[in-house]
Amino acid sequence: MNNTGKNLLRLVMLAAVLLPFTAGVVNAQTTTSEVVEKAPDEVEKSANIGSTADHSKFKELDVDFKSGPEVTEACLACHTEAAKQVHNTKHWTWEFINPETKQRLGKKNVINNFCTATSSNQEFCSACHVGYGWKDDKFDFSQESAVDCLVCHDTTGKYKKLPGLSGHPNYKTMEWPPKSGKFREPTDLTKIAKNIGKTSRETCGACHFYGGGGNAVKHGDLDSSLNNPQRYLDIHMESDGLNFSCGKCHESNSHEVSGSRYAPTATDQEGVLIRGNNGDRNPTTCRACHGNAPHKSVEQAERLNHHANKVACQTCHIPEYARGPLATKMTWDWSTAGKLTEDGKRLLVRGSHGRVIYDSKKGDFTYDRYVIPEYVWFNGNVKYTLFGDKVDGQNKVKINEFLGGPDDPESRIWPVKKFTGKQPYDVGNQTLAVFHTAGKSEASFWTNYDWEKSMEAGMASVGVEYSGEMDFVETEMSWPITHMVAPKEDALTCAQCHRENGRLQNISGVYMPGRDNTPVVDKIGWILALLTLIGVVAHGGIRIVMHKRRQ
Amino acid sequence: MMKVIAGFFAGMLFFAVLGWQYGGAFMFNEYESPFGVEETAARIQANMQSLSENGWKLSALRDPGKAVNAAGSNVLPVLLVEACSTDYSGPLLKDDETRLLSILMPCTITVYKKQDGKTYIATMNAGLMGKLFGSKVDEIMTKVAADQKVFITFDASKPAPPLIKKRPGGGGAAGGSDDPGC
Repeated sequence: MNNTGKNLLRLVMLAAVLLPFTAGVVNAQTTTSEVVEKAPDEVEKSANIGSTADHSKFKELDVDFKSGPEVTEACLACHTEAAKQVHNTKHWTWEFINPETKQRLGKKNVINNFCTATSSNQEFCSACHVGYGWKDDKFDFSQESAVDCLVCHDTTGKYKKLPGLSGHPNYKTMEWPPKSGKFREPTDLTKIAKNIGKTSRETCGACHFYGGGGNAVKHGDLDSSLNNPQRYLDIHMESDGLNFSCGKCHESNSHEVSGSRYAPTATDQEGVLIRGNNGDRNPTTCRACHGNAPHKSVEQAERLNHHANKVACQTCHIPEYARGPLATKMTWDWSTAGKLTEDGKRLLVRGSHGRVIYDSKKGDFTYDRYVIPEYVWFNGNVKYTLFGDKVDGQNKVKINEFLGGPDDPESRIWPVKKFTGKQPYDVGNQTLAVFHTAGKSEASFWTNYDWEKSMEAGMASVGVEYSGEMDFVETEMSWPITHMVAPKEDALTCAQCHRENGRLQNISGVYMPGRDNTPVVDKIGWILALLTLIGVVAHGGIRIVMHKRRQ
Repeated sequence: MMKVIAGFFAGMLFFAVLGWQYGGAFMFNEYESPFGVEETAARIQANMQSLSENGWKLSALRDPGKAVNAAGSNVLPVLLVEACSTDYSGPLLKDDETRLLSILMPCTITVYKKQDGKTYIATMNAGLMGKLFGSKVDEIMTKVAADQKVFITFDASKPAPPLIKKRPGGGGAAGGSDDPGC
């Protein structure tokens, strides 16, 4: 073999030895390349989850779930204490005992002037309960699998608890709204369970934006426009800005969500809330983040900070509520409910804004947008008129009353939505009525429009025999305005309050320059002005007379 | 003689100041509405449509508040209800002497909420405006003023009509709709 032959042989052997490595390198490069291509998606997904666990990879959730409780059982296999925690919350019990007034409140006990009461209507109302199966008084509140994890933790937006299903989503194809010709596919529980995450504006809003029987109806400062709000609507929640979720302010601990309209914090003077030092403090207050002297770089900052001794932040910084595209309900008159079309069908009348202003099932409504709040002194204590409290039918009933006054150091001037209406009361028992509104039974008002049957069933559900005589009484309910915080340049100006007939014209107990006067000081001023005028006229007159005499 | 001349100029000055202070109020009229903003605007639209025999057609409904919202700020609700009658606009637009009055077209009535929470309606004082531009314009604007009164006279016993959310542009080159605006 000559040199050329040896070299050729070496080359072939080298190639034979290196080829597998070369292939490996190529394979390795391919693999690396695939990893590089996949990595951004993986990273993005992990970032979006905002958690160290990707539930879509859990074998425990790789199950064809047939019902909500089945999903909960799977959740509880890992989150062993979650249901016990939820059981201690207002979202589960629908009950709250006010520590100051000792009144037993919560959705289970309060009668409001929207849909009024939950008793006898649980099958319908429990669409907003964080549980499954609450259809009557026999509901077992100790059952762990009855806790609904998905309603708060869904991230798909596909999980809906429909009224009338006792807190369940639809497991079969269902026409919704009824008689609409539109059908909802069965809820894909497995897909939703694999895509759970933190609570969001959408999950909280699924109930809190729709309180009182519809979008934007109840609160005035909460509606679906906050799912994706622009800057003008809410400076904290602006999608392209700070993008706060509800939980950013309403921090939760062991599933108990902070903030309550049953016992709100009207005054917080403790400054910025340092993490880890919560104690019993409510983290949802403005000052918990902004501190006690939030006005720093504006003109008259010190004077504005001084205002906070009497005025809640919300008063200036939420100049109007219902500022989104949707009007909020302002009045509800149940006394006109029951009118039907000529052919005996349910009557629906829409107003110029497109919202229903008459419904056979509910009566007459009015709506408004950009509503200027009413203002009250408020120290955080709210007194409710509850079932059994005496109602005479002559005087307007305050469903709740915000307590406080100008001499109370815990009181501030707060903006509120005042919602008025007419609702049934039991004349014989002299109490606001519980009536059976929704359901399939003959006694349901929405089935047969018969007040007597509805009253009988409703009152029986709270253990009271209906007296046989009912009427309608005027009622009023106040709602604190605290969401839809406007950009700072839209805050109230001085002159909007400091003038006659300004925003705070009905606030008593404080002297407001521009609005108020002191009669004695005014009289002294007028007398001085008059004396000056007399002096000028006399002086001028004397000079004219003297001038003529000299001539 | 000097006293007379001085008095004349003093009078001129007085009325000039008066005009400066209150002239704007003469050019426009403001009325309180018993209804909300949307319902007031809808009722005005319905009244405009009821005068179709005078050539009135709705041109547009504008919400200038939306632009303010888009810029990140808030204003209380305001709606501009626009309508046009070719019976009135035609003669003015044909004459070079009066074509500049196209700046007043279409006829706009604004509905807005104020800080007292009440709804108000503002109209141009068409009658006074007409008097400033000669007899021909006066004759037309007097008719417009009469129709304006009908637009803002409401029958509360009638149910609230739906708000017609007609977009600006109408027909012609702008919109291409079969329903021409002005």
